[in-house]
Amino acid sequence: MQHKTVIVRPELCVGCMQCAIRCAQAHSATKELATAVFEPVLAKPRIHIGVGVNPQGVLKPFPNKCRHCDPAPCQEACMPGAIRSDIAEGSKVVDPALCIGCGMCAMACPYYAIRYHHDLHAPERTITAIKCDNCHDRQKKGQIPACVEACKTGALEFGYVNEHIKKGAGRLANAAWSMQS
Amino acid sequence: MRYVVVGLHAAGRSACQWLRRADPACEIVGVDPSAGSLYARPLISYVLDGELPEHALVKDSAPFFENLGVQLKRAAAVGLDANRKRLILDSGEELAYDKLLAATGSAPRRVRLEGDGADHVCYFRGQADLARILAHVKSGGVAAVLGGGLVGFKLTHGLVARGMKVKLMVTSPRPLALNVDEYVGSWAGARFKEMDGVHLMTSTSVVRADVHGQGLRLTLDDGSTEDVDLVVAGKGVVPRFAWLAEAGPETDQGLLVDNRLMTSVEDVYAAGDAVQASDIVHERPLLNAIWPNAVEQGRVAALNMAAKGPAQGPAYAGSIAMNAIPIFGTHMVSVGMVNPRYTEGCEFITTTCHRGSYLNIVIRDGVIVGAVGLSAVPRLGELAHAVRTRMKVSRIPARWLKNPRNAAPLAGNTPWYKGSRVGA
Repeated sequence: MQHKTVIVRPELCVGCMQCAIRCAQAHSATKELATAVFEPVLAKPRIHIGVGVNPQGVLKPFPNKCRHCDPAPCQEACMPGAIRSDIAEGSKVVDPALCIGCGMCAMACPYYAIRYHHDLHAPERTITAIKCDNCHDRQKKGQIPACVEACKTGALEFGYVNEHIKKGAGRLANAAWSMQS
Repeated sequence: MRYVVVGLHAAGRSACQWLRRADPACEIVGVDPSAGSLYARPLISYVLDGELPEHALVKDSAPFFENLGVQLKRAAAVGLDANRKRLILDSGEELAYDKLLAATGSAPRRVRLEGDGADHVCYFRGQADLARILAHVKSGGVAAVLGGGLVGFKLTHGLVARGMKVKLMVTSPRPLALNVDEYVGSWAGARFKEMDGVHLMTSTSVVRADVHGQGLRLTLDDGSTEDVDLVVAGKGVVPRFAWLAEAGPETDQGLLVDNRLMTSVEDVYAAGDAVQASDIVHERPLLNAIWPNAVEQGRVAALNMAAKGPAQGPAYAGSIAMNAIPIFGTHMVSVGMVNPRYTEGCEFITTTCHRGSYLNIVIRDGVIVGAVGLSAVPRLGELAHAVRTRMKVSRIPARWLKNPRNAAPLAGNTPWYKGSRVGA
């Protein structure tokens, strides 16, 4: 079954980092920006703006987050089974109660999508693996992921991959047609 | 179709999951003497150092296997009749199979010592070993750890955390000689020297162990003696596959397999520590007995076992040596070829990632073949990908090397696996 996912279009990203701020806010205890910044364990973003280079050699922002691969190399490397696919269907979610912070998942992830921070859901551990959870608790309430809600340029979309590909093909056809005319 | 999975640990469990996914109607039989419990062996080191409570280590396996519809046989495999396609169990029972997966893992490599104390040497492989060590641990006592690899490291850490004084005896001139480069090895050695309760003894090996009072008296190769309460050895592992030797599979140190993970015996596949699969970097069969390889091999073998008719499952790209361990408040990670014995003539790029971090990339003929790092774990994942895909070093943008912390991932948006859910 296809699941809705966050689709990233790096070419549209302007690097404003609103997504990262809203992501951290959505994963804080209070869920409010004004209070989240004063929480004892600061929530961390699970989406990062990396510095990429476009084919013309120009530096470009690159929104980088977990792709929820299937099969997922991080999940295969996780010894305590903390990266679970049964918390939210179609998403690989870190269970902070099981994570031991060994670093194996990040070593297996080719996308630099997993980081280690003090997590408010496992305050007794100094570090826990932190990565995108597709905002599964927001989705349960009928909301879309926080990063997508924050994105003003369309670089982050929430939808079905095949629909997105179809739209892309349409855009390409339009571009080709309008160039000929 | 009846699949028999022998050994239900990392590779076996992964295979059960993927067999069920690929063939919802098949019959899966899991054979393991310890089939009732579910745990990850490497985690015993986290129990020893108190990071993980003992009760969190082992779970009941029944819900996991019931959910997958796997029938469990709590028995050990003792033989294989490949002509009649029968697996012989220690209970005398014969089990028919259509396809069989050998995932019996490995056993700790024994140290050969003279003297009557040789049998008192503990190993560090599974739950039983952990229990044996914990029974001997006494606060204020002295323990000898033989072997300066990752297991020796974790053991030292754990025993010190339990209040013991540890003598870490390493045959090589520096610890982690096989796992990391010289810089990280010396760094770790220096940290151990600073650590209270640890006595690092390099270029030292034990030749004799005698029972001495309550403990043991070890005789070293230079003739000196050490009195200790506990001796634990972490000297690597040896694959376990003697039970199918009668069927005559091709073997070296481990079971040799083709790129579909089938052994030379028809319909007998192998995965996990028992396998000596082709190493991506060294391009020859090597033992890489680590968790992620085992799980991946379990998946690839399962998909090939479940492939019907002329269709084939995915080809196995090859194994790779990699490891991450949290140590001295940081993570130490190595991927691919970093052992100085093999990296002669290679080029190196050394860079830093975060403050005080270290990242060393090994390049052979313009291709990335290995990387080792301290507190640079997430970037090592990308480099592991680079090693696996034989990425040319010219593909790494100068920007990445200048400031790896903020650079976009090397893999960009290219999919990792076919069928992965990748945006844009």
